[in-house]
Amino acid sequence: MSAQERRFNPYTENGGTILAIAGQDFTVIAGDTRQSEGYNIQTRYAPKVFRLTDKAVLAVNGFAADGNMFVQKVQQRLEWYQHAHNKEMPLRAIARLIQTMLYAKRFFPYYVYNILGGIEDDGSGAVYSFDPVGSYEREACRAAGAAQSLVQPFLDNQIYFKNQLPPSGGAHPKHLPLKEVLSLVIDSFTGATERHIEVGDGLEIYIVTASKRPNADLEAIANLKQVPGGFIGGEDGEKIYVVRRELKKD
Amino acid sequence: MSIMEYNGGSVVAMAGKDCVAIASDLRLGNQALTIATNFEKVFPVTERIMLGMAGLATDVLTLRDRFRFRVNMYTIKEEREIEPETFAHLVSSTLYERRFGPYFIEPVIAGLGKGTNKPFIASTDVIGCINFAKDFVVAGTATDKLFGVAESLWEPDLEPEDLFETISQTLMNAVDRDAFSGWGAVVHIITPEKVITRHLKARMD
Amino acid sequence: MATGDGGAYSYSLTVFSPSGKLVQIEHALARVSQGTTSLGIKATNGIVIATEKKASSILMDMSMIEKVCMICPNIGIVYSGMGPDYRVLVSKARKSAQAYWKIYGEYPPTRVLVQELATVMQQATQSGGVRPYGVSLLVAGWDPNRGATLYQVDPSGSFWAWKASAIGKNMINAKTFLEKRYNDDISLEDAIHTALLTLKEGFEGQMTEKTIELGIITVPSKEELRELGGEAGLSVPNAGTGRPKPTFRKLTEEEVRDYLAM
Repeated sequence: MSAQERRFNPYTENGGTILAIAGQDFTVIAGDTRQSEGYNIQTRYAPKVFRLTDKAVLAVNGFAADGNMFVQKVQQRLEWYQHAHNKEMPLRAIARLIQTMLYAKRFFPYYVYNILGGIEDDGSGAVYSFDPVGSYEREACRAAGAAQSLVQPFLDNQIYFKNQLPPSGGAHPKHLPLKEVLSLVIDSFTGATERHIEVGDGLEIYIVTASKRPNADLEAIANLKQVPGGFIGGEDGEKIYVVRRELKKD
Repeated sequence: MSIMEYNGGSVVAMAGKDCVAIASDLRLGNQALTIATNFEKVFPVTERIMLGMAGLATDVLTLRDRFRFRVNMYTIKEEREIEPETFAHLVSSTLYERRFGPYFIEPVIAGLGKGTNKPFIASTDVIGCINFAKDFVVAGTATDKLFGVAESLWEPDLEPEDLFETISQTLMNAVDRDAFSGWGAVVHIITPEKVITRHLKARMD
Repeated sequence: MATGDGGAYSYSLTVFSPSGKLVQIEHALARVSQGTTSLGIKATNGIVIATEKKASSILMDMSMIEKVCMICPNIGIVYSGMGPDYRVLVSKARKSAQAYWKIYGEYPPTRVLVQELATVMQQATQSGGVRPYGVSLLVAGWDPNRGATLYQVDPSGSFWAWKASAIGKNMINAKTFLEKRYNDDISLEDAIHTALLTLKEGFEGQMTEKTIELGIITVPSKEELRELGGEAGLSVPNAGTGRPKPTFRKLTEEEVRDYLAM
């Protein structure tokens, strides 16, 4: 018999779920705010969604310590980039940067699933999703985290219209209006909160709008706040808003 | 290797307005290998009760026969059809008989009460702990996915055709994200007048 | 073969006589007809079962003797014949009702319990080493399917459903009396009075709350049935929680006294 081996485990899993959906000229990135370890709720408000630039928002889910550290490092790299080039890094470049940073730690990874949302240089809404070691893909929507398995099939159905027939002579819409996207996000999280113990407490929904987007439809949204930023694009530039809502706390 | 994932497969049942629906996928697998794509997991119990079973296929077949035997005996002895609630208890006690060496199935029951047409759905775990739900019940390898979709799509008092659409969309979108389930689906809608059975054209991968 | 232990004749089986009779069963029935009278009457809204309770000595504490028994909340029984045999049957019936409850989550319909009891009694006419039960039973019960029903079970294991019946010492007279008094729309209150009047015929000694036992089935109202779990009256209220409201109960000594005074 060999002696009992003891080893420090550097990772833990902190629950929660994140989700992003791209629209024609906006992107919605959302996450719940519960942070737990096992059956223990550590806090009911731990943000998982962060502003990176005026047109990029990053949601991180998995091991919270790694997530927070990773976001800080990305933000630092983006600041350096701005100093060096006197402009904000384009979204697709941020996505590639994240891949590089994740793969750099291929053999001691950040135990984090990332979803990057924002506006591309061509003004389109975009979502990039990553695995912990940097595999990534641009998509129209993605859920990750504890309730991914609950939310993703619902999104397949409602965003990609999977298993639905197009109206006769027509086709499914490529992008949904912001109002519908927001209600799908809220439905996804209330559903996940109902059935998953690690999801709940609060919901933060970030909305990134393209430059020159007529944001009249934003006025109908309750609790909407603009997130202060660099305003590099001026009044017409991309803007970030956040909506905070309550989720069930049981 | 979990024995509950050995053959794969999923079942879901939903309550509507004076109607219930129960549906399953059609895959029978041997771990990652698909053996058959016509393996139905829902069986009639009476004219207005159906039983779905997800889990180990051999136990699904054994229990189908066992329940048929017990319900036949009940019908003869009592000279009446068994009620959904009573059948749920029969399922529960049959499974609990094997408390320490269980059948590896999770049953889902759907039916209408006699005379009242009261919708009834229930599910149990492998040892017969009953879950009487008012909305929907799920079982099988796509349980999480079914819960997620059903929680967002289901609403109270659906008419038979709307309930059919809801359960079909729930099942298909859930099993499309589950490698162990899928390869077609079958849906039964139990109304006071008749049972409508439809085979769905779904993704075959 | 005449061996010391009784040899081939030692099994005490109920054996057919050449004329086709089972004399053991007839003896058992004889024992029943020596027993104190019991009767049951089915009314429109319930059933009453009643019996006479005789003390063999004034020193006996009659409050401890129970002849009308609840088997489960919807079924009660009474007997004529041998007290000890009855106790055994009551215990078996209660076990059977609980076993049924454990399987189906509800108590057995009257007919199912009667069948079960009849099977037990029949087996005693065919098994080795036993004698038939020396009792006849009156079983009163209510279930959502068949409503209120009154059954009689005999030592042979045969059973019948009755509108009204009597067993025991005075059964012939009592039955004739009941035939005269019975009609199809008798109320439970009237049935209780008829039951007492019937017992009075051929009652030895004083009829008091100490010497009479009464049990009644009360048919639940529509509202009570809804509480029990929907129109079908399933005895699983609140989805498997809670207990069904008893439809059978024994009358207290006070209630019996009041009925006797009326």
